[in-house]
Amino acid sequence: MSNCISGATRALKAARLPVQTSARRTLAYTNGCKSDLETKWKASCIMQTQGLGVQGQNRAFSSSSPRYKLKTIEQIKTRNKGGPFNLTAAILLVGTGGGLWVYFRSEKERMARKRIAESTKGVGKPKVGGPFDLVDHDGNKFTHENLLGKYTLVYFGFTHCPDICPDELDKMSLMYDKVREQCGNDVLLPIMITCDPARDSPKVLKEYLKEFHPDIVGLTGEYEKIKQTCKEYRVYFSTPPHVKDGQDYLVDHSIYFYLMDPEGDFVEAIGRNFTAAQAARIISDHIKDWDKPLKKETRWT
Amino acid sequence: MGWFSSDDSTTGVKKTSGGAFENPSRTNRAKCYEARDAFFECLDRHSILDSINSKAGREATAKACGDTDKVFEKNCAHSWVEYFKKQRVVNYQKELAIKKIEASGGEIVAPQLPIGNPK
Repeated sequence: MSNCISGATRALKAARLPVQTSARRTLAYTNGCKSDLETKWKASCIMQTQGLGVQGQNRAFSSSSPRYKLKTIEQIKTRNKGGPFNLTAAILLVGTGGGLWVYFRSEKERMARKRIAESTKGVGKPKVGGPFDLVDHDGNKFTHENLLGKYTLVYFGFTHCPDICPDELDKMSLMYDKVREQCGNDVLLPIMITCDPARDSPKVLKEYLKEFHPDIVGLTGEYEKIKQTCKEYRVYFSTPPHVKDGQDYLVDHSIYFYLMDPEGDFVEAIGRNFTAAQAARIISDHIKDWDKPLKKETRWT
Repeated sequence: MGWFSSDDSTTGVKKTSGGAFENPSRTNRAKCYEARDAFFECLDRHSILDSINSKAGREATAKACGDTDKVFEKNCAHSWVEYFKKQRVVNYQKELAIKKIEASGGEIVAPQLPIGNPK
């Protein structure tokens, strides 16, 4: 930017310099014009005068804008030959049409998102999600009320997961960063709820999750409470209720990200087939749709 | 390769009495994946697909890739070893099925949400 400006200034200065000199020259040789001896300079004198004349004319024209005046029938005929369609009209038509098309398409997408987001609102029980009472990775109580005021991205997993959960959690941190880039820092809360409370203590979860993203909150709790939460979120899992210390087992569980809105209601489930960028776009679109003033003003920064 | 030339090949990762990871950290997972890839490469070389489900497969594996199998077991939780060995078979069958469908003119489209228009 600054380069451009300084470059332009330099160019201006360079341009002004010869103008000044030529003006001085004209002044110096106005008298010279009178003497017939210096014919060489006469020519330049005439040129200068002509230049002045043109300038004067321009000035005269600039006060009133030139307008078409159709004088003869022929002129009117040629003008109307093309009919009312000319290039300007065509550009206007295409521009307006394109603009409307883009607008209606985005509006249609927004309405479809709204329908999805609101399908679980209103009368009756929500289909996904519900009250829970768990413990976060710092050992503090964490309930469904902690979800209020922000969008939340909920993932169910376990730390001893061979390959899918680590991949998905890496994706989650990418998604989270992308959404924050697009929507701001304090609008989305990433959460991982363990399906394996026997092994995943708050300490284990904290150690595990900080390798993915320091902002991901790990939740654990008693087996029965985890089971109830999983049931509410329609998550299938196969953890044995009683395990021996040090026992080696895997947990089979559903793999979805659940997007919950600032009122704690389910918005959309995002499966494994989405890339981080696609998922981030879906989440960002929903966040941008959120227009309720409730809590947004007080809790969102 | 660094993992195997170092002491890790003899000690492996820290495990519980039941054979699970004591700490399934990123480093430990990377070690396990590397051991798995080396083992699978050996199976590929000897054209062995199934190293766990059938007796013949287990015997052939022990004969041809016994060493890499041991390193695999050392660096991964036992449950992970079983999981990856079974996954190898499943993945192969999945690929076969996809090829078969595509050869017969079918198309496989990952399920998408009704909206979102992912690009």
